[in-house]
Amino acid sequence: MPPPRSLADRFFASRLPLYLSAAVLRAAFLVYGLWQDANSPFKYTDIDYLVFTDAARFVAHGQSPYARETYRYTPVLAWLLLPTSWTGGGGTHPLWDAFLFSSGKLLFAAADLVAGCLLERLLLARAMTPRSARQFAAIWLLNPMVITISTRGSSEGLLGVLVTALLWAVTTQQITLAGLLLGFGVHFKIYPFIYAPAIVWWMDRERMGSPGKPTTTSTARVLSFFTPSRLQLAVVSLSTFLGLNLVMFKMYKTPFLQETYLHHISRVDHRHNFSPYNTQLYLASALPSLSTPTTLLPTLPIESIAFLPQLLLSCVLIPLVLAKKDLPTTMLAQTFAFVTFNKVCTSQYFLWYMVLLPLYLPGSSFLRSKPLGLSALALWVAAQAAWLQQGYELEFLGVSTFLPGLWTASLAFFLVNCWILGVVIGDVR
Amino acid sequence: MRERITFIQKLGDSIESSALQVSGSQVSGPDVQAVREDRLTVALDELPTELHLLLKGSHELHIRWVSPVAYGTVSPLLARLPPGFHLFFTPGKGVDATSTKLCATLNQTFGNIACSTPAASFTSLPNDRFYHATSFQYFQPLEDLSSFIQYAKTQLCPSGDASCTTRLESLAKVSALDISYDTISHALKVTALWPYQSRPIHAVAHPKVRTELGVLSDEKTPTMEDHELGISGLLTVLGQDTQPSSTMFSFPSRHRDAQSTFSAQFLSPTGLHPTLQLQLSSDKPPMENTFCSPHAYFTLPRSIFADKYQLSDDLFLAAKNLTALRYISQPVDLEAPEYVMKPWGSSVLLELAPPPASAEKGQPWTTEIPLHLRYLLPAHGGYGNVEVPYPAVFWACAAEEGTKFPTNPFERVNLGYDGLFGPRTVFWHVEPRPQTGNRVTSAIRVPVLDLDKAGWVNVGTAAVVLAGFLWVTWKLVSVYLASGYGNAARTPPPAGEKKRQ
Repeated sequence: MPPPRSLADRFFASRLPLYLSAAVLRAAFLVYGLWQDANSPFKYTDIDYLVFTDAARFVAHGQSPYARETYRYTPVLAWLLLPTSWTGGGGTHPLWDAFLFSSGKLLFAAADLVAGCLLERLLLARAMTPRSARQFAAIWLLNPMVITISTRGSSEGLLGVLVTALLWAVTTQQITLAGLLLGFGVHFKIYPFIYAPAIVWWMDRERMGSPGKPTTTSTARVLSFFTPSRLQLAVVSLSTFLGLNLVMFKMYKTPFLQETYLHHISRVDHRHNFSPYNTQLYLASALPSLSTPTTLLPTLPIESIAFLPQLLLSCVLIPLVLAKKDLPTTMLAQTFAFVTFNKVCTSQYFLWYMVLLPLYLPGSSFLRSKPLGLSALALWVAAQAAWLQQGYELEFLGVSTFLPGLWTASLAFFLVNCWILGVVIGDVR
Repeated sequence: MRERITFIQKLGDSIESSALQVSGSQVSGPDVQAVREDRLTVALDELPTELHLLLKGSHELHIRWVSPVAYGTVSPLLARLPPGFHLFFTPGKGVDATSTKLCATLNQTFGNIACSTPAASFTSLPNDRFYHATSFQYFQPLEDLSSFIQYAKTQLCPSGDASCTTRLESLAKVSALDISYDTISHALKVTALWPYQSRPIHAVAHPKVRTELGVLSDEKTPTMEDHELGISGLLTVLGQDTQPSSTMFSFPSRHRDAQSTFSAQFLSPTGLHPTLQLQLSSDKPPMENTFCSPHAYFTLPRSIFADKYQLSDDLFLAAKNLTALRYISQPVDLEAPEYVMKPWGSSVLLELAPPPASAEKGQPWTTEIPLHLRYLLPAHGGYGNVEVPYPAVFWACAAEEGTKFPTNPFERVNLGYDGLFGPRTVFWHVEPRPQTGNRVTSAIRVPVLDLDKAGWVNVGTAAVVLAGFLWVTWKLVSVYLASGYGNAARTPPPAGEKKRQ
């Protein structure tokens, strides 16, 4: 007699319940958000969504999206959100207006679902049963954090679909599509450039099914690295990236370059965030203006070399050692390293690696050993909670918690992240 | 050079002409409850060379200092501004806005004026709104005029002229000082205002200065119209008249007394997003049968700002008893710390929303203004201080169609907010009256990075990042040692590794 099937078993037995509940949850959050926005002075909608929609309105009126202060994104995002600017047409129903205004959120939520679908495919391709593939995809699809961020109108969900699609294109050897996605991804949010070395390293001759002759001389070995598929990926992704930038620069001139790219170099990221560098950055940005002698404060310029450990890990060491063994986990580790070692770190960035989590977790140490998994989760949450508590005291109660509270909390969170990253790396065999 | 000394009393407080003793170039009289206003008009070529040159480079220049100590005043000297140092400026043709000269001179004369150049430190005023606004604005808190008095004593008084230094020292007690120049009048007007209190009537004319003395009081004349003010009293030209002559006249005025008060305080806890609460003593519009609406005009130092995007949501505004953000100077950086900001700060005009029309008017009410602090410089002890000047609060009422407001002898124009309204707007001023103390500023304690505890930040951050980096690198090395960089499933590990295992 077969064992009685549990509710969870039946839920994951077919695709419909999972995707339907993912969609219904998003719709419910979205409608709730509309209600809260209309009835409370405290808004559900993310402030960034108002930036996007304002920018879209500027574009609709033939102006530059950069006419909106703090619009620091590619114009493509404002174009995608153009329907949000069609509201308020004479005689239209308010519900239709609300629908149009939310169309960007619908797009982000739809992107979530597509990313989930791609995750399921990627998992199935690794000889997983459809049932467990759906279970792991549910980590993304039914994740309340993901649902909230998308329905509040943050564009990170688009990154999720771009990265999963990139991974899918690469593993199914659709090089041109992969190049297009990589070039567009970097144009869209810069950070996906870290995936380029991993993908290039991964797609060697053996993998791409065109093994060359065994090489002996070192020149020949170097030359043999430049396989047709690697060159194809490089050409397609670079020309996509450069082409898009050229078009945008032609249309919007310097503000495009300034806001989308240069801003990230020149910005003083002093406002408190999870980054371990935050307190140091605040102090360093103030040093030139401080009149009191600061001989007490040694001045290692760590903020100006912070990119070194970050890029060394995420672009060189992790791809080099891991990419050929397990591409999805490599990309997860790269993203995790990039976010952990970044000079700015907010919870939206966590979405960047969360989308890759379902591909790593099956068979990971964290799932094999429950105590390990639970303590990692508990530490990750606890360090954040400690930081948030200190941040709350600073932001809302006006207590000077910069030192030692926020600083030590951000360092603790950093160390927890490093430990988790170490375990992830150790799992790649 | 001309001088006008005016004592203005309240309605019904006039004195008899016999109470004034005129003898030669001197007039004296009894103690009166009055505001005193001295106005000195100086032709350009009578000024010291450096001031002369500076003004020649200006099309219009208005410096207005207002005391941070609350003061009482009487009609018609009612126009109010937030306390501090205000500057409204239109450069002359061909004048370089990136020159440090104006700021250097201001710093020399007023002390601690933290501007560098008009281009960097000033904000542009809209020139598309209404009439006569200058092109630039500058503001900063300034506690007193001691530097200015010191400068004026050494630069303007002939050596050994004791009466000159005494006159200048009396500026230490003024509540407001205006210094105005424009190319049309080609003269510099210096106007000082002493607050409403008991003071003796006394004036001595300088031989080279034509001095006119007025002892006036607020008056309701029979022919006065709604938008007019009346004045009556005694006028004497010193050294010329042997007795005062009486006068009575009325004139249209844009600045009126709303006969109510307000105070401003930050709601506790303040945090980094403090809310400034305005408590107004009355919700009764000063005029009936015409449209009136209360406004608050802020000059916010660069350490604190209002977010125009936050102030664009109707529900949010309504919850705070606000109607709309009518004007905010541009640009306002929403992220930069205070210490890297170049512009002086921002000016903000908010239309306030009194409680909905109820049966009973004249009730006290409050409104809340959400503000945001910038990060300030790290300091010993972990806290910095910011003093936010009270706003100018007034009811803006529309005067009848066709009403004209020609400049009257007591008029102040170019106040920052007057140019944001139409020419027929009358400003009914609400008097700032703090609940405790007498300062018309709201203090706020700002958490900053504590320098006393900052000694380990640099080394500590470096050590922790290095430790994290080494741990991750070690894990990568272990993987490499165990299985190389290739695909373990497909290729055997490098030979060297094999031996060690």
